[in-house]
Amino acid sequence: MTIKNSAGRRNMTMQKKKTFVLCTLSILALLALSVRVGYLMILRSAHYTELAQLLHERERDIKAARGRIIDSTGTVLADNRTVCTISVIHNQIKDPEKVIEALCRELDLSEEYVRKRVEKYSSRERIKSNVDKETGDRIRNLDLDGVKVDEDYKRYYPYGELASKVLGFTGADNQGIIGLEVSYEEYLTGKKGQILTLTDAKGIELEGMGERRQEPQAGRDLYVSLDINIQKYATQLAKQAYKTKQAAGVSIIVMNVNNGEILAMTDVPEFDLNEPYVFIDEYSSLAEQPSANTQDLLNQMWRNGCINDTYEPGSTFKIITASAGLESGVVTLEDNFSCSGSILVDDRTIHCHKRLGHGAEDFVTATMNSCNPVFITVGLRLGSERYYKYFTQFGLKEKTGIDLSGEAGTIVHKLENIGNVELATMSFGQSFQITPIRLMTTVAALINGGTLVTPHFGVKAANEDESIVERFEYPVKEGIISEATSEKLRYILEQVVENGGGKNGYVEGFRVGGKTATSQTLPRGSGRYIASFLGFAPANDPKVMALAIIDTPQGVYYGGQIAAPIVRQLFENILPYLEEMDYN
Amino acid sequence: MANRPQKFRYSKHNMDYVLLAVVLFLVGFGLLMIYSVSSYEAGVDFNDSAYYLKRQGFSTILGFIALFFVSRVNYKVWQRFDMIALITSVVLIFLLLTPLGVTRNGATRWLDFRIGLTLQPAEVAKLGIIIYLASIIQRLEEIGKNVIRTPKGIAIILVPPAVVAALIYIISDNLSSAIIVLGIAVAMLFVAVPDYKWFIILGVIAVAGVAAIVIMATTGSADGGTFRMARIRAWLDPEAYSTDRAFQTIQALYAIGSGGIWGKGLGQSMQKRGFLPEAQNDMIFSIICEELGLFGAYTIILLFVVLIWSCMVVANKTTDRFGSLLVVGVMAHYAIQVILNIAVVTNTIPNTGITLPFISYGGTSTLFLLSEIGIVLNVSKKCK
Repeated sequence: MTIKNSAGRRNMTMQKKKTFVLCTLSILALLALSVRVGYLMILRSAHYTELAQLLHERERDIKAARGRIIDSTGTVLADNRTVCTISVIHNQIKDPEKVIEALCRELDLSEEYVRKRVEKYSSRERIKSNVDKETGDRIRNLDLDGVKVDEDYKRYYPYGELASKVLGFTGADNQGIIGLEVSYEEYLTGKKGQILTLTDAKGIELEGMGERRQEPQAGRDLYVSLDINIQKYATQLAKQAYKTKQAAGVSIIVMNVNNGEILAMTDVPEFDLNEPYVFIDEYSSLAEQPSANTQDLLNQMWRNGCINDTYEPGSTFKIITASAGLESGVVTLEDNFSCSGSILVDDRTIHCHKRLGHGAEDFVTATMNSCNPVFITVGLRLGSERYYKYFTQFGLKEKTGIDLSGEAGTIVHKLENIGNVELATMSFGQSFQITPIRLMTTVAALINGGTLVTPHFGVKAANEDESIVERFEYPVKEGIISEATSEKLRYILEQVVENGGGKNGYVEGFRVGGKTATSQTLPRGSGRYIASFLGFAPANDPKVMALAIIDTPQGVYYGGQIAAPIVRQLFENILPYLEEMDYN
Repeated sequence: MANRPQKFRYSKHNMDYVLLAVVLFLVGFGLLMIYSVSSYEAGVDFNDSAYYLKRQGFSTILGFIALFFVSRVNYKVWQRFDMIALITSVVLIFLLLTPLGVTRNGATRWLDFRIGLTLQPAEVAKLGIIIYLASIIQRLEEIGKNVIRTPKGIAIILVPPAVVAALIYIISDNLSSAIIVLGIAVAMLFVAVPDYKWFIILGVIAVAGVAAIVIMATTGSADGGTFRMARIRAWLDPEAYSTDRAFQTIQALYAIGSGGIWGKGLGQSMQKRGFLPEAQNDMIFSIICEELGLFGAYTIILLFVVLIWSCMVVANKTTDRFGSLLVVGVMAHYAIQVILNIAVVTNTIPNTGITLPFISYGGTSTLFLLSEIGIVLNVSKKCK
């Protein structure tokens, strides 16, 4: 079938040319598209790969172990326990009835609850978390398809309520809620790891496609100055007093006077750190009242009176008045006074606790007697301005900076509001409020030669292999009082224990200094008292100081009679122990 | 025949075996990729990971039987079927309006003959148009006097395909097949008519039209405009429409981009696991990129270049105008589909459903593509 006409033949030649052109154009188009494909697959590859990976991967967190809290003896006070989370993956379940039956049995859950979750169409359904490891292992060993047992960490406090208000506890996400767990959160908390698994579009994990893991990084261990032996003993003594005196609370703080390390701190009643949301007996009846605010009550239960609450220190504060007096020279140890049982300040008569009066006495004896009129006299000699200056100089207006949150500030008159009466009452520790830790810290500075330290628990943060990450340093202020005055003070306070009102604090074979206090709580006349004793040893070269405070004791309420024996018993046990430990 | 000056050899040795080899490779590769791409979803949806492979395998066997027979039938026979081919195409399209039509995803594109076979009339129409045009052009040229260059001649050539394309678009809502039918017609006309100017003018108009549409789409309000306008906006900025209109496009781009130079390896595609729905259809090229990388993609493109080139060689070796035009039509059909498919998958043009010849899943399409190869092979036998 050749083309018979000439135009047709010409067109045939043209047609071949144009076929070639058409073919060439098509191939050029394909070449252009090849460039486009190359651009997408080379230059845009990273961009799309990243987006695609985001789309394909599901992440599961791996919790990081929280750092432990370890005391100065190496005892672990806060640890992690492995717990398990049991979940089911709907698509992988082969025998739902068996799974439901097994989970109900092992986890002690209602069938209705488990069935709802097993039959729910979701990629992953959590059945129960915080299951103990044994149960978790048992479930894993049943080897049920679609049942996943994931290990997890839970904070665990081996000593239950020991130092509960100091250590604090953690919440559901293992974050610190109160105490040292909060203060050192950044060290204790680890870095979460992740398991990135490939899933299909429905979120179903793909078997055998591998997974990427970012290993979790464990938190740092926190080494604290607490000594479990001292802490245990202090707690025992506090509990004893709490029971026998039917007190509202008993606090004991033991501190190294030279560096501010706290060896023990207890504020009975304490709570169980492993069950921080369970009310202790003292609170359970309150919590059952219809008007009870559970959170308020919990906060109250968790409150650490040693640092969160202020009180009128009473006679222990005479140490400060004595220091100011001696330092300024308005009084010497040999100055003679006469106590008639009361003193008239402006128009107000202020009584001595001994209504008959102490008679003639020098300043040392007056301190031993805790004689109010003498200290009022010293205070008045100083005058409000100078008294206030020393008050400030001794750091009493500042917070101590202790490494626990919620430290309460000092409540004190403004200088312009301090008249003679206010000054007089301040001189023997009334009409202002400070925290127990504040009192201790200042007294520690007055007797250690004038070094105002920062009370603290945290010593260092270290890795699990004990390599130190950071050694904590705390501010220190030198020279708040002269060494000479400090020495005199140590002498007087030793006399108080040897021969004065603090003789119940005397420890056979050790030189102990100290001061008692019995302060009436506000409002006056309520018959409620706070009895306390602050003692330190050795009196000539102080190393350790203890403060015992009994809030609202029943019966005998004098500090010298109920608080001093606590410190004595404490010292009797811990001083030989500390010597043995070569404590300095 | 006796008058012909040249001697024609009817021996099979002249058959274009390169072409056959390329097609065999593409079909085999296509089956492999269909299994790789669809097995995961088929396993989930039908509990049979080879579901799509089996169906495509059946169509492929039918296709090769058709190829075998067609390659043994003297292509000149088809000239007698020109009007029948056209009428059959139109009738089949109209049959979509009868209860035989099957509606899937809102478009009626399939005829179900209730014997386990479905047929896509648009695919039949493509071959029908090729046969009709080759024949009508041949007839017009035989008349001589360059009738083909007159408006009347051009109208005779272009009106039937335009009507068929319009029917495909209106009845089966299948813009891409309409474009292909029209494209084949224009390509065959381009080859048959000696002039260039008409086509240059046509090209300029087309470029201007595209530019105008793009400008309209970009300046128009974001939520207004028609469905196709929105498609164009999604094309220009797929990441802004990644959750709705450009969903498929963006998923294809993820697949292509994440393949990189070396690919993830056969079977290792992530996108086929439900992220790129029905990846075995239009978007199969993107999974090839993801699994086999840039080199896999270039290999496929190269094979299509060889296929198109081989068609051109066969067309130009043939002295017979009808045979030559048949091959040109087939070549245009392959070229348009390959170019448009890869352009869509790479978001070079707006998304419109076009399958990749020999590789994408689709029964009717495979059957007719292979039949067309049979025609080309038969033509190649009769080359000088």
